[in-house]
Amino acid sequence: MSPRGEVLTVTSLTKRFGKVSAVLDLSFAVQPGRVTGFLGPNGSGKTTTLRCLLGLVQPTSGTAQVGGHDYRELPHPAAVVGATLEASGFHPGRTARGHLRVITDAAALPQARADEVLELVGLTEAAGRKVGGFSLGMRQRLALAAALVGDPGVLILDEPANGLDPEGIAWLRSFLRARAEEGRTVLVSSHVLSEVQQTVDDVIIISKGRLVQAGSLEELTGAGLTQVRVRTPQLEVLRAALLAEAGSGGVHVEVVSPVELMVSGLEAAEIGHLALRQQVELHELTPVGTDLEALFLELTADGNPGGAA
Amino acid sequence: MSMVRSEFRKVTTTKVLLWLTIATIAFSALNVVLLVFLTPRAMDIDSDLNLLLDPAYVTNILGAAGSSSIFILILGIIGMTSEYRHMTITSTFLVTPKRPRVLIAKGITYALLGAALGLIAFITSFAVTLIALMTEDHAPVDAIIALQILGGVVLAFAIYAFVGVSVGALIRNQVAAIVGALVWVLIVEALLTVFVDWIGKWLPGGALNAVLQTTNVTGRGGADILPTATGVVVLLGYAVIFGILASLTTLRRDIT
Repeated sequence: MSPRGEVLTVTSLTKRFGKVSAVLDLSFAVQPGRVTGFLGPNGSGKTTTLRCLLGLVQPTSGTAQVGGHDYRELPHPAAVVGATLEASGFHPGRTARGHLRVITDAAALPQARADEVLELVGLTEAAGRKVGGFSLGMRQRLALAAALVGDPGVLILDEPANGLDPEGIAWLRSFLRARAEEGRTVLVSSHVLSEVQQTVDDVIIISKGRLVQAGSLEELTGAGLTQVRVRTPQLEVLRAALLAEAGSGGVHVEVVSPVELMVSGLEAAEIGHLALRQQVELHELTPVGTDLEALFLELTADGNPGGAA
Repeated sequence: MSMVRSEFRKVTTTKVLLWLTIATIAFSALNVVLLVFLTPRAMDIDSDLNLLLDPAYVTNILGAAGSSSIFILILGIIGMTSEYRHMTITSTFLVTPKRPRVLIAKGITYALLGAALGLIAFITSFAVTLIALMTEDHAPVDAIIALQILGGVVLAFAIYAFVGVSVGALIRNQVAAIVGALVWVLIVEALLTVFVDWIGKWLPGGALNAVLQTTNVTGRGGADILPTATGVVVLLGYAVIFGILASLTTLRRDIT
């Protein structure tokens, strides 16, 4: 039986460093059984929020709690929450196994857990090697292994895909998916939406320390635009037909060049069918997917450009 | 207890302890050798003065075990500050979010390590003393005094390592903490002792010497000294006060 996931609740969280507000009146909840993406540009306050949740940073006001408790009050935190925060938190002279055993000892877990989690993240071969010689990807795996030693019901991972090769990212994806399906809470931060797009069920988007959007990915996708690139020598005919169709609403047509259109609100098949009916010659009909990244940038770029670095 | 085990594993899975143990052994041995062979007798063959015939001087030679105390202080400082330096403090506080507990576990761990190093330092100086004196005329080595010195160095190093941990918690920057401690021990405290003669015995170094039951052979000799038991309390007091100060200030800081 898998450990129970807990609800993570952030309520009116504000954190100021001197005069700078890293997080401002932020509220959201993260549900168990789902993978939640915590998104925002670099410097938007993601890491600060996670560190508040983990008792490493003291909020200026508001709360960030795990299952209704402050992290610092958890009697056995390693068994409740596993977290990775930065890949640099290793003593370079310590071996991977040594690093994990330091944690299993402190958490009063059996030593054998160290080798178990090393195997889980595929680092068994490197168990006896010093972390100083590890690549960024290996450090990420080791950090994940450390988060897993207590078999926690909550996983909080800060930019876990950084430094992973495509194979590693695919592995991470299915790993997190499996954990969520076991009923655990999985919160993954990223500054690139496309990186977690295929992984997450829910998204929480913040910008400049404030909440921009919280909800399921479908809701966000609904807010976004499914786009199809169409190339045709009879651009005007097709455009007129598409705009006629637009009468039913939600269709947007953009002329990219004299022979190219970007259409949103219609499936490629629908456009193809329309073109056939109008006897329009098509040279290209490519669904370019939901342009979530553009939407994400738009959502997080409000106000003064640049923002906090 | 599991936390102390974790701290032991931290220190035994890196090289610092090994280097500082080697330094302790080497420094203790070197001090004995210097004290035995750089006496007036050795410098001036015609001199009829032979310090080695003075029992107090022989006691002083055995007391060289205490001369490596600075390495013990540094061991404690590194034990705490390396967590901040390598940011392992993050995973330490994730497992143990009640931070003063980490400080206490480290205090206990390093006190035990300090005691062990005190034993090693004593064995080194005792063995080297016996060997070095073999070919010399000398006053007898008193077993009771040797045991007193052993007890003193073990206790002093245990508490001093704890002082180091507390200093490291208070000054999280490793270089600043070590340089600060060295400047304090080697310069500030020595000067204070010279200019304000009553203060020396109450300072950490003075209290350390009281526990070691020796006036420091490398200097500050002759300064008056607290009774051993008072020295223990004062030295322990520094460790605890620095630790409490750290718990109220630096230890509470955000880990970012």
